[in-house]
Amino acid sequence: MLVPLERKVLNENDRIAATLRQRFQRNGTFCLNLISSPGSGKTALLERTLAGFDAARRVAVLTGDIQTDNDARRLARYGFPVRQISTGGACHLDARMVERHLTDWPVDELEILFLENVGNLVCPTSYDLGEEARAVLLSVTEGEDKPLKYPATFHHADLMVLNKIDLLPYVPFSMELARENARRVQPEIEILEVSCTSGEGLERWNDWIERHL
Amino acid sequence: MSIAASVLDAVRAEAALQGGGRVTRAGLRIGELSGVAVESLRFCLEVLVADTELAALGFEIEFAPWTRRCRGCAAVFRVTDARPACTACGSGDTEAAGGDQMELSFLELEEP
Ligand SMILES: Nc1nc2c(ncn2[C@@H]2O[C@H](COP(=O)(O)OP(=O)(O)O)[C@@H](O)[C@H]2O)c(=O)[nH]1
Ligand SMILES: [Mg+2]
Ligand SMILES: [Zn+2]
Repeated sequence: MLVPLERKVLNENDRIAATLRQRFQRNGTFCLNLISSPGSGKTALLERTLAGFDAARRVAVLTGDIQTDNDARRLARYGFPVRQISTGGACHLDARMVERHLTDWPVDELEILFLENVGNLVCPTSYDLGEEARAVLLSVTEGEDKPLKYPATFHHADLMVLNKIDLLPYVPFSMELARENARRVQPEIEILEVSCTSGEGLERWNDWIERHL
Repeated sequence: MSIAASVLDAVRAEAALQGGGRVTRAGLRIGELSGVAVESLRFCLEVLVADTELAALGFEIEFAPWTRRCRGCAAVFRVTDARPACTACGSGDTEAAGGDQMELSFLELEEP
C-alpha cells in the first residue's frame, strides 16, 4: 500500500513556533533570532546592545550553548534577565527549548526578546523559533563567500550584520563582494556593518531594532 | 541528527495513522534551501534505524531544487550558481518560489 503524503518533517517544531509567534505578537514583543558561526560576535553584539539600553527597558535574552554558561554570565552583567539554554549536544535551538525556558518568566511584558542561537551556520537554519526577525552575523575574518556556501542560512535571514569591521585593515575581505553575495542569495536582505569593539555602526543597529518595536 | 530523529517520528506517526502496518519504504523531499545535506541525513537515518523495528526501511530521497518566480514574465526557474535573475527574460525582479521543503512525501506499508 503506497500512501502519498505532504507531512512536514518539523511540523511539531513549526506548531510550537507558531504558538510562540502568536504570543509575541499579542504582547508586542519583538523576538530576534541571532545566528552565526562560533566566534562571529553574537554575544559581543548583545553585550553592546544591553549596555546601551536604559535599565527600565523590558528586554531579555535566551542564549543557547552546547555545554557552558559563559555567554549567559557575560550577558547577565547588564542587569537584564538572561537565561542559558543548554542544548545537551544539539547544535541548534528549537522551539520547544525556547518555550520551556520561558515558563515562569515575565515574557508577556517584554518589548524585546533576543535569542542567541548555538554557534553554527547550518543546523539552526531549519528551526523556526517563533521569531519575528532573523539576523545572521558574519565577521570579516570568515570570508566573503559564506552566503554562497551556506545559501539556506542567508536565504532565511532578514538581516546580515557584518561584524568586526575594525579588522578590515588587517584581513583581505571585500565588503562589496560580501554584500553582493548575500543579495544574490536573498535580494531583500538588509545589511549592516558594525564593530562591537570600536562601536562603529552600532547606532544603525540600534535604529534597526527600534524600527521593529 | 535531530532532523533524522524527526523524520523517524514522522514516519512512525504517519504509519500509526495509516493503520499501523509495517513500513517498507518512505519518501522524503529535501529542498536545496532546507539547510539539510542529503548525504549526512541519509547516514544519520541509517544509524538511527539500526536495531529498531524500522531497520529494513528504505528511504527514497528526492532533491527539490532552489527555484524563483519572475514577477515580470511569471516563469519559475531553477536558481543556479546563486543567480536570482530570471533565466527566461533576464529580469532581476524575482521572488522565492521553492527549495525549502523538508517533507515526508510517501510511505509504503504492508497491510496491517
Ligand atoms: N576585533 C573584534 N573582535 C570582536 C568583535 N566582536 C566580537 N569580537 C571578538 O570575537 C570573539 C568572539 O565573540 P563572541 O561574542 O563570543 O562570539 P559568538 O560566539 O558569536 O557569541 C571574542 O573574543 C570577541 O571579543 C569586533 O567587532 N571586533
Ligand atoms: Mg556567544
Ligand atoms: Zn522573466
